[in-house]
Amino acid sequence: MGTDGILERLCLRCPRLGGEVPLVYCLKEGGDLPCRRIVICWQPYFPVEACLKARLSPRQWEEYLNDQPKEKIVTLVELAEEAGKRLEQD
Amino acid sequence: MEQVKVILADNEIPRQWYNILPDMPTPMHPPLHPGTGKPVEPQDLAAVFPMNLIEQEVSTQSWIDIPEAVLEKYLLWRPTPLCRARNFEKLLDAPVKIYYKNEGVSAPGSHKPNTAIPQAYYNKVFGIRRISTETGAGQWGSALSMACRMFGLQCRVFMVRISYDQKPYRRMMMSTWGAECIPSPSDFTRAGRRILSDDPESPGSLGIAISEAIEDAVGDEKARYSLGSVLNHVLLHQTIIGLEAHRQFEKIGEYPDVVMGCAGGGSNFAGLSLPFVRDKIHGREVSIIAAEPASCPTLTRGPFAYDFGDTAMTTPLLPMHTLGHGFIPASIHAGGLRYHGMAPIVSHLVKEGIVQAQAYDQIETFTAGLKWAQSEGFIPAPETNHVIAAVVREAELARQEGTEKVILFNWSGHGIIDLPAYDAFLSGKLTQHALTDEEIREALKSIEGYPKP
Repeated sequence: MGTDGILERLCLRCPRLGGEVPLVYCLKEGGDLPCRRIVICWQPYFPVEACLKARLSPRQWEEYLNDQPKEKIVTLVELAEEAGKRLEQD
Repeated sequence: MEQVKVILADNEIPRQWYNILPDMPTPMHPPLHPGTGKPVEPQDLAAVFPMNLIEQEVSTQSWIDIPEAVLEKYLLWRPTPLCRARNFEKLLDAPVKIYYKNEGVSAPGSHKPNTAIPQAYYNKVFGIRRISTETGAGQWGSALSMACRMFGLQCRVFMVRISYDQKPYRRMMMSTWGAECIPSPSDFTRAGRRILSDDPESPGSLGIAISEAIEDAVGDEKARYSLGSVLNHVLLHQTIIGLEAHRQFEKIGEYPDVVMGCAGGGSNFAGLSLPFVRDKIHGREVSIIAAEPASCPTLTRGPFAYDFGDTAMTTPLLPMHTLGHGFIPASIHAGGLRYHGMAPIVSHLVKEGIVQAQAYDQIETFTAGLKWAQSEGFIPAPETNHVIAAVVREAELARQEGTEKVILFNWSGHGIIDLPAYDAFLSGKLTQHALTDEEIREALKSIEGYPKP
């Protein structure tokens, strides 16, 4: 991994968290993936779209962009079912 | 002496919430169960919410009685004043009358307890003993903590780690109100322990925190989960704001030409606007505007969009074109704006053309917020600054058009607990300008090895 200096210095107010976060947080917010808002939040200041796009095939980039977010109710149902399975494992 | 506040007496508080679903011009599509592909049934949510709230979530009644026990708690700070921002009007020097609902007067300092209180009440009457939830900076967590204490419920809040470290005062509020505030990821849940085993220093995320809160609720039949925005029953509870405003405008013989609110999850915007949306659906002329957060380029440097000549990123950075305020990259249109987690009711109203969404950059919003604080005195929550920026823009439009306008907006919360945000803005820590070529090269080098989409 490269140095974190500038990625720690660049800060925006995160509209989801309600607090200031560095770019380095946004790059890893989704665990294996960046936060879904990274382009809309960062693009005017830093060419994050071009950078992410350059590392993927056009098909992968289109898949990432077009992956529809789920409705909250659906997310809650899924999370509850996943939680139930985790609890049954004990 | 010119009137500044319009007050409703305690006995003038609305006694019913307004449900817009029966009045929608076209029906909303129900969410589909991921496993069956059929509409989600109330029973699918029974482990998450108490059935009385699930019934509200799917209700087709236009008016729902507010329980007396909820009204008693509302009266601690409601009805909130409708205020005339005369000092701000003078500063803007435009033909506008600006009214706002001051939701910052509640104990947690925002509109959030308008739903936290009824949610705690309905859980209590259902026999629940504990509520779990997640929170980012703590606005929701603190409101729910207070509400749970008022109804004798335990409250467990999973706070995203990066926020837990950054926002000590909100978690202190939660503790003062008797809640457990746990930094997420935590070892309280299997979901949290899995994350910590991979990365003990994980700063957390809302996704992780919600997984923990849901697991915590599902694992205890006397516990349920609670959410502070997005869902229908939350927006229903928040309509107390707009219903009060309606009555207050009747008292002074006025009606707004424009109704505005900031929209993150949509609850405070919907709370103010839905009673006016009802009027609009029934033929009244009124503009309804949701102010959303989004980054827009500044004009100070004439920033460029960059692209690479090859995928190995070895070619020089190529400036593609100058971005103006109106420029939004195609990929944002295609995908970015979908990911802001807006309430389905609000999204549907935008799609129907009943509500208009406008995006505001953090620099424009903080600038507007400072203007407000320096004229009206009250320091807004940074989120509230989005709608203040929208008011500034609307006033400018009124001046250009030479038309008088009555503007109503929701002052959704104060910023006293969020002063570090103002400090970050005033000291230039928030990224304000497009980067220099050198900074971009440095950042691109640093970004190698970070997760790819």
